[in-house]
Amino acid sequence: MSDEFVRAISTDEIAPGGMKTVEINGDEIVICNCGGTYYAVQRRCGHMNAPLDMGTLDGTYLTCAMHCVQFDVTTGEALSGPVPPYFGHETPPPMMGEYLQNIGMLMKHVRTESIRTYATKLEAGWVQIAL
Amino acid sequence: MYTLSTCPWCRKTKKFFAERNIPFTYVDYDLADEATQEKISQELDAAGATGFPFDKIGDEVIVGYRPERYLSALGK
Amino acid sequence: MNAESRKRALHYFFEKVVGPLGFKFTPDTELKDFLLEQEVILESKHGIPFCPCQPIRHDRERDMQIVCPCIPFHRKHFDAIRRCWCGLFVHKDVIDPDSLPQLPPKEVGLE
Repeated sequence: MSDEFVRAISTDEIAPGGMKTVEINGDEIVICNCGGTYYAVQRRCGHMNAPLDMGTLDGTYLTCAMHCVQFDVTTGEALSGPVPPYFGHETPPPMMGEYLQNIGMLMKHVRTESIRTYATKLEAGWVQIAL
Repeated sequence: MYTLSTCPWCRKTKKFFAERNIPFTYVDYDLADEATQEKISQELDAAGATGFPFDKIGDEVIVGYRPERYLSALGK
Repeated sequence: MNAESRKRALHYFFEKVVGPLGFKFTPDTELKDFLLEQEVILESKHGIPFCPCQPIRHDRERDMQIVCPCIPFHRKHFDAIRRCWCGLFVHKDVIDPDSLPQLPPKEVGLE
């Protein structure tokens, strides 16, 4: 794979602290303006694929709106797991309907993509897969 | 004493008694079963304690890491 | 998930919250490091960075009060003892955190 750079967005399109999604070769990418330094990450949250541009960017930390998973945009590292909506033995509050609506609103923006396939081969009773 | 496995002050209080060869029993609240946690939780509430460590020396309850209080309670 | 990068992120977010409340991270860097590490462990277990020195009651309303930084829920108490319960944060003018005893609310005339 060659290291070919393509134009994504002009520098006057995102204010400092802001984010914007671009699509390049079918991939959705979020560009973050961290005080004049730009970072680019995949749009889909590493947890449940929510659109990260709908989260919040603070410094170089991006928090996903769906379950508050946090990422370091300089490395892509997931810094935390999801915050659980409820503890085990709690009754969901009456706001459950609102909560579901909010989740639905976020999910609306998530593209369902075709899944990647792998070539297969049969050999001596084993199924082999090309990675 | 009631303690937490994650609390440095709880470690200090255990060390305080261990170093002076004073026998003690302890329960790490976070590692206990639900029933034990409930019991400890109620005891904390009754004593007006909001955190650990929670030490009982005789009849005296001492909340927080308090070496001077331990010494005076043991002296009695 | 790297504990060190998570600790750095927690430091970044917490600093912004406790500053306006009149607190700062304890100058005892060993204690601060240990406590933040415990919070990372608690966060990986429960999904939330709880105080490493207070009980998780499994009751939402009570547990909200020990999510770090828990200073707003214990303002009077912590202002009186000039530190938070676990000692991760102290009043801005504190230079010697070891001199601040861990006093429960009752012993500072509260509750």
